[in-house]
Amino acid sequence: MLLYTRLCAGLSRASLMLAVFLLLAVVACVQWQVIGRYVLNDTPTWAEALALLLVLYMTSLGVAVGVRDAGHIGLESLATLLPERFQRKLAIVVHLLVATFGVLMAKSGWLWATGKWNEKKPMLGLPEGVDYIPLVVAGTLIVLFSVEHIIALVRGHDVEPAWN
Amino acid sequence: MELTVLAISFVILLLMGVPVAFAIGLSSVATILAAGLPVAVVFQKMVGGMQIFSFLAIPFFIFAGELMLYGGIADRIVRFANSLVGHVRGGLGMSNVVGCTLFGGVAGSPLADVSAMGSVMIPLMKKEGYHADYAVNVTTHAALVGALMPTSHNIIIFTLATTGIASVSVLGLIVACLIPALILTLCNLAAAYFVAVKRGYPTRGDFVGWAEVARSFAAALPGLFIILIILGGILSGVFTATESAATAVIWALVVTGLVYRSLSWKHFLKACAKACKTTGVVLLLIGISAAFGYFMALYEVPQKTGALMSSVTQEAWLIFLMVNVMLFVLGTFLDMAATILICTPIFLPICAQYGMSPVQFGVMMLINCALGLNTPPVGTTQFVGCAIGGISVGEVMRTIWPFYGALVAALLLVTYVPAFSLWLPSVLLGK
Amino acid sequence: TEFRSSDVHNSDDYPTVAAVKYMSDLLKTATGGKHSIKVFNKGALGSEKETIDQTKIGALDFTRVNISPMNAICSKTMVPTMPFLFRSVDHMRKVLDGPVGEEILKDCEQHGFVGLAFYDSGARSIYGKKPVKSLADTKGMKIRVQQSDLWVALMGAMGANPTPMPIGEVYTGLKTGLLDAAENNVPSYDGFKHYEAVKYYSRTEHSMAPEMLLMSKAVYDKLPPAEQQAIRKAAKDSVAFQRKKWDEQEAKSLAVVKGGGAEIVEVDKASFEKAMGPVYDKFITTPDLKRLVKAVQDTK
Ligand code: NA
Ligand code: NA
Repeated sequence: MLLYTRLCAGLSRASLMLAVFLLLAVVACVQWQVIGRYVLNDTPTWAEALALLLVLYMTSLGVAVGVRDAGHIGLESLATLLPERFQRKLAIVVHLLVATFGVLMAKSGWLWATGKWNEKKPMLGLPEGVDYIPLVVAGTLIVLFSVEHIIALVRGHDVEPAWN
Repeated sequence: MELTVLAISFVILLLMGVPVAFAIGLSSVATILAAGLPVAVVFQKMVGGMQIFSFLAIPFFIFAGELMLYGGIADRIVRFANSLVGHVRGGLGMSNVVGCTLFGGVAGSPLADVSAMGSVMIPLMKKEGYHADYAVNVTTHAALVGALMPTSHNIIIFTLATTGIASVSVLGLIVACLIPALILTLCNLAAAYFVAVKRGYPTRGDFVGWAEVARSFAAALPGLFIILIILGGILSGVFTATESAATAVIWALVVTGLVYRSLSWKHFLKACAKACKTTGVVLLLIGISAAFGYFMALYEVPQKTGALMSSVTQEAWLIFLMVNVMLFVLGTFLDMAATILICTPIFLPICAQYGMSPVQFGVMMLINCALGLNTPPVGTTQFVGCAIGGISVGEVMRTIWPFYGALVAALLLVTYVPAFSLWLPSVLLGK
Repeated sequence: TEFRSSDVHNSDDYPTVAAVKYMSDLLKTATGGKHSIKVFNKGALGSEKETIDQTKIGALDFTRVNISPMNAICSKTMVPTMPFLFRSVDHMRKVLDGPVGEEILKDCEQHGFVGLAFYDSGARSIYGKKPVKSLADTKGMKIRVQQSDLWVALMGAMGANPTPMPIGEVYTGLKTGLLDAAENNVPSYDGFKHYEAVKYYSRTEHSMAPEMLLMSKAVYDKLPPAEQQAIRKAAKDSVAFQRKKWDEQEAKSLAVVKGGGAEIVEVDKASFEKAMGPVYDKFITTPDLKRLVKAVQDTK
């Protein structure tokens, strides 16, 4: 099981590093658009489209890491009123629900990605389907990380954020 | 039938402790199944909801805020605010208010504001003999002004939430928020002073003199310049709102890395990683709220709510009050972005019908939702403040009333006096 | 059944919105009250691109969209979007009512859509802070375009600097001078209040890309033939109504923008037409498309 935790930690760390790279790339795209307009008097028409695509990938990775680091905001005060034993069971159910959402996300993402693979995206010349790949990636990661949380709850230890 | 599924599943999931974004997503899935439509639509709306050019300003503002947080701007703003009002009774409380407002203009979110200013000011105030509850309440309330400052990503979120209902420009709303931000700050100052006098907090030395004020201002200026980049950049037509936000990031890098030289490589990476995670959380909420919005449109929730409210009363002031109360109740349970995204399509049309301009509605909504950040059960700003102050939410809540009351007063002023929101845009932007 | 149809326009009385409502009345009468259509305008169900996809998978029954977002899906829709193709609005209406229009609507069927009708969207022209009288005037101008390869190529062929930007930012962009110009039909120039920002509307009439009414083939195929025919007929019958509404709307908007101080500039269109060679070379690539373009040009 230690192996699984290490796998998830590694995945989360890699996702976050990739997300950081993408964030910087998005800033660069938008800056390049400004430079193109004023310095070259030739607005790069791909810049906006690429920025929007990259931000999807960055966000989906951020979403998944947020699930692992318990970064998504929710209501917790009611659960704390329950006895400890129930609290843990409820927490497991919550993670199962989040995992279910991850499964649906990955599945729907795959449907759209394959269904729109033959349409061309304007400005970039890529398939329209690439917009939906992030759903597949994030959905899969969310499932993996939720399972890690469930295992941790059953064995009674915490999931340590991989990179803070 | 489908609406019942939506409402009940959402409330149950929320009460179970499912994170808000996932609760919205799962209840949307339940609803679409009840309606007999393909589940894939929920995720199409989600992707579509994230892929809007103006939304790029959100990661940029968050990123710039994180860089400033690690890059030493907070300390310099504290020094400037201290030199300005530090000598008044309850001086640290007052300079805290001024500092939070200024830093809010740089970081643009109450959460970033309270993290940055709180970690400097709250320990300092405790050391000087102020009570922890006072320190936390002053900081968390002053930080709310960040939601109205030019870098506020909630301004962008509201602008986008009005798509198809009204045309509100990002620039128009940014300008409209400036005077209300000032009113909020004055109310905060009044509350901080009043409580300080009542508790007999000490004065602290004499006025340091205008030369010292100017010196500390100059030190803080490069950081504060971000406000100018955004306002000036868009007003002069050099940038779009999104481009100005990207430029703010570059400027934050230059200031913290080259001018202040206080941003290490480690801190830089930390700021980047934090920005990515926060962006993920915020944009997921935005995207999935688009799915929620789809059902609201499909089942005509705004029209039905409007008809219901009109049947209760025809008085404009009562309608506005009812809207404020409902926003307040929802804001108690939901995060700011979620409240804005879910409630704008419902309440904007009805307020507009009773004569409130969409821009004024936006300002009102931002203040109202910001107040929700300081109340449990979901009060992110308050939680961070309490964590820094080493004090429980319960203790803070016992003495929150003067501060909270002052901001409620500000909210009512903005709700019932349109000129506070509309005069400045009419002067600066015409029409 | 109460079918659902989407539209992105905000006004409940916008010609395309009104036309589908009118079609609903016709359909209701024809089917003895069995079927009608509810219109969700203001983009309530999504952008044009999103509602096209929803229609394809059967989550939405009808969608009313501009023809441009269909270009990536069925190639023949490219033809009516081509710049300076139609000589006049009358020419356009004649072509779309004729065999060329039928062939394009039919082409949608193999991609999951029943093409029901074309509606008018008028002619798009350039408006900015300076008048455009001939090709020489657009050189180096920063002109806002939609995110579309065709529009970028078109503005490039005019020698302009095509600047893709979301419609919501255009007003500020024009007002502050970030943009020199934008392009659209008169009702949009009016509706988005862009005439308050820039005064010169130059009649380049570079595109007459029409609107389309599409039905989900998945939904259509489940209906008995008599009802399918009733839907097709009601759609066709709504076209004349839409055109009348369109002409009224255009006249009304023209009066509004003129009253607001806008100046209508006549343009040497021939100078632009001559520059369009590269655009046609880039997008009219297959024998089918070339045949259709020729058929349009030959329509008298
Ligand atoms: Na904010
Ligand atoms: Na709250």
